[in-house]
Amino acid sequence: MTGLRVAVMFGSRLIQTFPLSVLVFMHAEPLSFASTPYRSNRVKALDSLPDPLLHDRLIEQIALRRDREAFAALFAYFAPRLKAWLIKSGATPGAAEDFAQDAMLTVWRKADLFDSSKARAATWIFTIARNRRLDMLRRDARPLPTPEIELAGDDVRRPDELLSMSQDADRVRDALARLSADHVEVLRLAFFMDNSHSEIAKHLGLPLGTVKSRIRNAMTKLRLILAPSEDAAR
Amino acid sequence: MKPQRNPSEERLLAYAAGTLSPPEAVVMAAHLAMRPANDAWVRDLQSVGGEFLDETPPSPLSNDALALAMARIETDAGKANHSAPLNDMPELPEPLRRYALGPWRWVGPGMRVRDVHAPRDGDCRVILLKIESGRETPKHTHGGVELTCVISGAYATETERFNVGDFEEADPDVLHQPRVVSDEPCLCVVALDGQIQLDGWVGKLIQPFVRL
Repeated sequence: MTGLRVAVMFGSRLIQTFPLSVLVFMHAEPLSFASTPYRSNRVKALDSLPDPLLHDRLIEQIALRRDREAFAALFAYFAPRLKAWLIKSGATPGAAEDFAQDAMLTVWRKADLFDSSKARAATWIFTIARNRRLDMLRRDARPLPTPEIELAGDDVRRPDELLSMSQDADRVRDALARLSADHVEVLRLAFFMDNSHSEIAKHLGLPLGTVKSRIRNAMTKLRLILAPSEDAAR
Repeated sequence: MKPQRNPSEERLLAYAAGTLSPPEAVVMAAHLAMRPANDAWVRDLQSVGGEFLDETPPSPLSNDALALAMARIETDAGKANHSAPLNDMPELPEPLRRYALGPWRWVGPGMRVRDVHAPRDGDCRVILLKIESGRETPKHTHGGVELTCVISGAYATETERFNVGDFEEADPDVLHQPRVVSDEPCLCVVALDGQIQLDGWVGKLIQPFVRL
């Protein structure tokens, strides 16, 4: 069975092939998570699999059972990356680690808002961290929500849309792979360097105008790759 | 089909990356709730952010980091309070419904304004602006960038028309005199940076009394 792959088709276009076992896992596992008690070796067993949905599952376990081991596994993966992100954007290592702690605590608190059909774990955690950062940047903090991904729509998605949502991460990853190295670099800096274009220009040793047009070109390319038909409408 | 006025790509990227100021992010969130195509694009950009986070080389944590995190979740009061109460304007898009609103204030003939108690950023804050049909704002320039999203009605500047869901990034240097061109009043959410500078002798005369 391991060699058997299932092709996911969109029209006549092949989107992705999965090993059959992954598809079975995707469909069967949420039910068994909900009905069987947590076993600590499960996290370790999953960890050794190249499972793209591992982190999604961990968040769901936190939501379902306040699962501390799932949180520890998630923390071990994401906290060092959140710290690295903040250091890149100019924070001191100490402040960056505080930020990572804070963002992960928010992940713990909001796990039940996670919807794996709308965003995968890395995107959701990125969004949470980005909102925490907005909170920190504001000068008079109020205990009110900043606009967040989960507030944007509570619409019920149709099953065929669920399939396309689960492809999103792959879609975006494939699209990034098709951009030039220059374009990926400038987008990464736009995400991680507080978006000050002059700061990015300084970092790359390029004129400001070059950086601005490179960012714009990178986004145009990305749009074309991700949604060729939508682009024509703009 | 009427042409749509959308945010610039730079501003959409900044929103996805979380680098817009909080008041600007509030206006953008309102726009995205009304313009699904842009919302889908921003979600894709957030997936790009997720990819970048995923592939960031990790920075080692201090030795006690995990223990500290586990201690914090043990003592944590629990789930965050997700929902502030809804405000009294059901006509607002979802992202604006949970901000408290100040009272309506008269700021000129046919023109009322209401504070949105969203986070400020220095002088930059969020307001709702309601202008009656056919009215125009006094000629003005801005202290800084002004972002506007039309919630209902429509207005036109000297060169462009803005309909429901449209997003305007006003150039701080341009003298601005939008006029409401819909039959109904025009309701907008605005991120305003600095005080508006009114133009002309009447404007100068009433300036001290008009604080938006």
